[in-house]
Amino acid sequence: MTLDLLIQQLVNGLIVGSFYALIALGYSMVFGVIKLLNFAHGDIYMNGAFVGLIVFSFVGIWVGNGWLGVVCALLVSMLVVGLLGVVIERFAYRPMRNAPRLSILITALGASMVLNGTALALTGGRHYAFNTDLGFAGIDISTVHITYTQMVLVAASIALMAGMQAFVSRTMYGKAMRAVSIDMGASRLMGIDVDRVIALTFFMGSALAAGGGVMAGAYYGSVHFFMGFIMGLKAFTAAVIGGIGSVPGAMLGGLLLGLLEAFGSSLPFVGSEWRDVFVFGTLILFLVFKPTGLLGRSVVERV
Amino acid sequence: MHFGHAAWMRQQGKWRELMVVSFKRLAKRLACATALAGLAMTTMAAAADIKIGIVAPMTGQLASEGQDMENAVKMAIDAVNAKGGVNGDKIITTTADDACDPQQAVTAGSKLVSEGVTAIVGGYCSGAVLPTLKIYGDAGIPFVIIGANSTKLVAANQGNAFLANSTGDMQATTAVELFKKNGYKKIAVVDEGDAYSSDLAKLTAEAFKGEGGEIAAKETTTAGEQDYSAVVTKIKASGADAVFWTAYHAGGALLTKQLRQAGFQGGIVLGDGNNSPEYLEIAGSAGEGVYLLSPPTVDLLSGAADFKAKYKETYGRDAGAYAALSYDVGDLIADAITRAKSADQKAIIEALKASDLKGLAGEIKFTDKNTLQTSNFRPVIAKGGKWVAVE
Repeated sequence: MTLDLLIQQLVNGLIVGSFYALIALGYSMVFGVIKLLNFAHGDIYMNGAFVGLIVFSFVGIWVGNGWLGVVCALLVSMLVVGLLGVVIERFAYRPMRNAPRLSILITALGASMVLNGTALALTGGRHYAFNTDLGFAGIDISTVHITYTQMVLVAASIALMAGMQAFVSRTMYGKAMRAVSIDMGASRLMGIDVDRVIALTFFMGSALAAGGGVMAGAYYGSVHFFMGFIMGLKAFTAAVIGGIGSVPGAMLGGLLLGLLEAFGSSLPFVGSEWRDVFVFGTLILFLVFKPTGLLGRSVVERV
Repeated sequence: MHFGHAAWMRQQGKWRELMVVSFKRLAKRLACATALAGLAMTTMAAAADIKIGIVAPMTGQLASEGQDMENAVKMAIDAVNAKGGVNGDKIITTTADDACDPQQAVTAGSKLVSEGVTAIVGGYCSGAVLPTLKIYGDAGIPFVIIGANSTKLVAANQGNAFLANSTGDMQATTAVELFKKNGYKKIAVVDEGDAYSSDLAKLTAEAFKGEGGEIAAKETTTAGEQDYSAVVTKIKASGADAVFWTAYHAGGALLTKQLRQAGFQGGIVLGDGNNSPEYLEIAGSAGEGVYLLSPPTVDLLSGAADFKAKYKETYGRDAGAYAALSYDVGDLIADAITRAKSADQKAIIEALKASDLKGLAGEIKFTDKNTLQTSNFRPVIAKGGKWVAVE
């Protein structure tokens, strides 16, 4: 592998990794607070992309198909889909909060299917074009080509993640979130409105996923009802690698997964069809030898 | 086999269309068929006429395609009759509705056999054609299949049936011809890991190597994934002149966009699974100048303009995708009967085997398995957001 190729794969890995990180973050936050593997998270990402596309097509009439339109779509979609996350939590997960863990896991699968099936019914399984005028212009470093769009996307996802980290570590609500994640019962006794904190967690996690969905839709140029499935799987993997429940862990896991995939496609002697074997093999190794992930703490099972 | 559907449907022999027939439609269809049969008996047949059966979906989801097939075959037969018919006899046709449904197809086939037709043309869905092969085979009736192209039909053929449409695997031949014509020396082949696309990738790679070409890279992507950058980087680094994508339009559009975004300047060629307007919508400006290997749909045939105009004039509607091929088959059967010099079915089958017809949709010459010798897939190019024929 030449140096140029190495750098190009590094760039590729960072770009796709920042999408994974953004989605993994929401996964990880929800798990951290209520110990739920929210399987609907990938579908929330897909919903975010669709809401973004609708807004983008609508505001495009006035502001054109450039950056302004994408930013509008991003903000509106984050708000709308964040609220959707709150609604899902209120109606699907809250009634199940004291049910056995398996029941709530199945509820999450059900929520995923409801979102996915609704999108299928409404779109008829079509692939919708998300055509922007962002273009392919960029800078060239020897043969490595990086577009401005790619740079902005990576910067935006880093900014979103940094904002989230600051919120969790610096604000009172963040402190309440951390408290609920450590001990829900004790938090309630200390006067924390646990329901509200959990709703807020869902809002933020879903908004991040929606942001990722809009950025991915605009960047790759197509939106489809099934786009959340693989992304949900990858985000879960990233969250596990980084240490599920840990915010910096999710970011690290996402970037690492992106890099693993990029280099997994360029393994010596074998073709790109081996990439997923390589990536998910790594996941299994992590689960066996370091189930808490890179930055995770061991979770004490409360029964 | 309609325009815009994913290719796996064609590949799997259009089994899927069979599932959509409702009982209501079935009842309606039976009523129609009975009425038509009655009508046919009372009005048809001066003794010396040669009767050709047309079997096509006249009801159900694919009724429009079936109507096209019937219209186009009749148009060809009318032209033959206007020139004096075959061996001094006129050809008449009778149509049976298979509704692209295996059970309905068996009924339709038996009806044609009992009417004593000399030969049968038609068949759009492989699933519906398959069970009728035995009926026509046992009766020794020459049968030219127009649309259906599953390789399963080749295996079930008793020797009396002929496939006038290329089977899916012949696409590799067309692909290699295009590579050579465009002067590509090193090709990167990319599939999606499913049976259809990986088969096509393998066949094309072998055929291209056989012609002295080089396969610079052979990559596989995961269906449903959006980011192909790692594969794109490998393709760029491999120094390929062109990329051949064998899977479907959703992935094809993403790959095209990401190749151009990464600054890949070479050619991009797509398999027939990308024959969809969605591809052009999603790929946008990145799709300009991309080649697609298309079945012989009438809009993309450069020599079919007169046919299209005449069809519209005669039937008051646009010629559908398979109209040109159906017209060719009408010609083909009349030609075979002429060369057989009689209405003897064995002689007609022998004459069909020796066919050499230059039709609107391409050349019709059969192999010893009664499939086309030359692929009728043809390259088209994306220009101004539309597929146009390559001159």
